[in-house]
Amino acid sequence: MTAGSSRARSRAGLALPLESHVLQAFVSEGIKPVLDVVLTYGAGHFYVSQSDKGGLVFGGAIDGYNSYGQRGTLPMAEEVAAAAVTLLPGLARLRVLRQWGGVMDMTMDGSPIISRTPLEGLIVNGGWCYGGFKAIPAGGLTTAHLIARHAPHPLAAHLDLERFAAGRTVDERGVGPYPYAH
Amino acid sequence: MLRIPCPWCGERDETEFHYRGDASKVRPAADAGLAAFTSYVYERENPCGWHLEWWLHVGGCRRLLKVVRHTLSHEIRSVGGPEDR
Repeated sequence: MTAGSSRARSRAGLALPLESHVLQAFVSEGIKPVLDVVLTYGAGHFYVSQSDKGGLVFGGAIDGYNSYGQRGTLPMAEEVAAAAVTLLPGLARLRVLRQWGGVMDMTMDGSPIISRTPLEGLIVNGGWCYGGFKAIPAGGLTTAHLIARHAPHPLAAHLDLERFAAGRTVDERGVGPYPYAH
Repeated sequence: MLRIPCPWCGERDETEFHYRGDASKVRPAADAGLAAFTSYVYERENPCGWHLEWWLHVGGCRRLLKVVRHTLSHEIRSVGGPEDR
């Protein structure tokens, strides 16, 4: 399940605790090697790495309101550029080659859902917010465990759907049930 | 850049506003039970289409606005105060 979660949901008649938001990413012109790691800091929700072709690939926070539009708006582009220059002032003269927006399934507590549902045989793996590309190897393993053994993997047991009603949300930023704030 | 026509201040840039989420949710009665409150706090329709939502005009009149906006085209159809439907 991905950002089209709401459609899968309406077919199954399930209401899920998530919203779709747009997240932008940027690629700069190619430059000589400057970074051999993925550099990130959580306070600004900024990350940057360098591709094999030399371009810097970077991004930041979601635009901040419900959107299925696969394009970003300028205020967040400015904020991401400011975060980049705050972290690495030497990037100030770098030119951006391209930019795009992808739709993220943002949960109400900012953590993914790997869970059985009230519908027998329907398992939900979604709501990956910012973390899908980084965390999905573990997400796949724990989902396979849930399917094969009919019991949650110990690493993902706390990511069940019931956590919301039970009041044990996994809200790492501590901002409350607002997807636009994670 | 969204341009939001505030009923009190006129049309302004989105950077003057804070998004405050889905405005279609209505707080249940105090004795409505766990399922009703779970739905109110956590469950969202998340439509790909027209969406009723809160925007707080922090950089202007500081009022809460109810905005009907399309989540795919970002077109804004109407803007009103908290009492409007």
